[in-house]
Amino acid sequence: MAVFESTEKMYEVLGSLFEHLMNDPVAGPKFVAANLIIKFTITDPDGYIWLTDEPKVICGDADLKPTIEMILSGDSCHRFWLKELKLPVALAKGLIKAKGPMPKVLKLLPLLKPAYEAYPDIAKKHNLPIG
Amino acid sequence: MAYTELNLELSDEHEALKENVHKFAVEVLRPASLDLDRMSPEEVIAEGSIYWDCMKKMYANGYHTALIPDEYGGLGLDPLGVHIVFEEMSYGSVGLTVSLGVCCFSAFFASLIAEDHLIDNIILPFVNCKDASIMSCWAITEPEHGADILMPFTSFFNDPKITQQLRAEKKGDQWIINGQKAAWVSNGPIATHAALFVGIDKSQGMAGGGICLIDLDQPGVSRGKPLDKMGQRDLPQGEIYFDDAVCPEEYMIIDPESYEMFTDITLATANGCMGAFFTGVAQAAYDLALDYCRERVQGGKLLYEHATVQRTLFEMFMMIETSRAYSRAALQYNLSMNPPATQYSIASKVYCTEAAFKVTSMALQLLGGNGLTKEYPIEKLFRDARAGMIEDGSNDTLALAAANLILKSEE
Repeated sequence: MAVFESTEKMYEVLGSLFEHLMNDPVAGPKFVAANLIIKFTITDPDGYIWLTDEPKVICGDADLKPTIEMILSGDSCHRFWLKELKLPVALAKGLIKAKGPMPKVLKLLPLLKPAYEAYPDIAKKHNLPIG
Repeated sequence: MAYTELNLELSDEHEALKENVHKFAVEVLRPASLDLDRMSPEEVIAEGSIYWDCMKKMYANGYHTALIPDEYGGLGLDPLGVHIVFEEMSYGSVGLTVSLGVCCFSAFFASLIAEDHLIDNIILPFVNCKDASIMSCWAITEPEHGADILMPFTSFFNDPKITQQLRAEKKGDQWIINGQKAAWVSNGPIATHAALFVGIDKSQGMAGGGICLIDLDQPGVSRGKPLDKMGQRDLPQGEIYFDDAVCPEEYMIIDPESYEMFTDITLATANGCMGAFFTGVAQAAYDLALDYCRERVQGGKLLYEHATVQRTLFEMFMMIETSRAYSRAALQYNLSMNPPATQYSIASKVYCTEAAFKVTSMALQLLGGNGLTKEYPIEKLFRDARAGMIEDGSNDTLALAAANLILKSEE
């Protein structure tokens, strides 16, 4: 059974995670300065989450051109933010696919730290499995 | 001589980058590489050699960070920018460009993982280095494993009977490393660090490997003699020996779970860059030959006025333009897609190195007897291009790896 019971639940959990990331005093401004539009195309449950450089989090489809697209399942998303799934392993197993200039993808990685730190509490709050 | 740029969407930044790197290649790299070509391998890497002047200048310009994101202070180039830098540098010297390219291997791999200890201890010191005192190498080939160690997703890559000679064994919180890497390791004699490809789990064959970022300045590491070779003599290469060398566990960044895919990503990136390098070599040979044909008189007229010479120049031109267009497309694609489609990078490497070999050979022919002498750079470019058909995987073996990927992708 998928970790996220519905697309709405996934939007609620991951939406709040990305809002947290965008509002982070260090990572937020760096993300805006990076001038990126990131699209997460998620399966099981199916959905889209966009991070724009306004900065804005959009849950659902949008008529934007992404700089980077990450394609992964809801379960991989959950495990990734819990740091249970490392990026090399995810890429090796085809659990995460990325489209977009590699330097921009790599540039993102150090900006994700506040999200890793916040996610266990967010997951716990929504009664999602941890560990 | 500048070629006509067919990409009408090149940005002002790309144009400036191309112009600046080209100027640097012509004024600094080419004259230095011609001097280095005449030296023994020991003289090339000796203290005070012009090799070090070149490397220091390249570091001072930040060229060593071409593949490192600007978040860390790297140049943060887009894939097209990476191609432009590598092609233009290779216009001056492919050997020095390869040497510079592998300098970033440890930092590049660290940026794929981006954990704090890797950022603080590997990426930032490398980016901030301006005197070439921090240099990495890609330590993968072994005396008994040349191109076959670069063929992920083939049947023998998972054969337990075929494994890496260099082994890493976990003891406590460290990896202990024993064995040898081959004389073909670029920067092997001088690198301070290595992205070291090791064998861990023999039951998985080559696929049971790992990648560690290791400090080579330690008691368990020694070097062989720098290799004396036919081409790219300005690229120092040589063995590295490991005798109970130590790598802390947190620097084994890739384990057998993801080794095969990361070997593939490495191959896609490296072969993609090779396409750019050898487009630069071919362009250099073409420009030198064209200049010569505009000055040399035979049979009462300038060489370029002869129809057969015009035909030769056109064939060279076609191969170079094809090399540039295709190698740019392949590098841009594979630096933008994960997982990469490695067959396109291999096609780029194989096509561009073979085109460079043909173009340098045709250039040498146009120069006639002068082409055979060391008074002209053509014979060096010819030798450099010949080496390209073997380095980074021999073209024959790479073609088999690519065919395997093509057939699998069409299943």
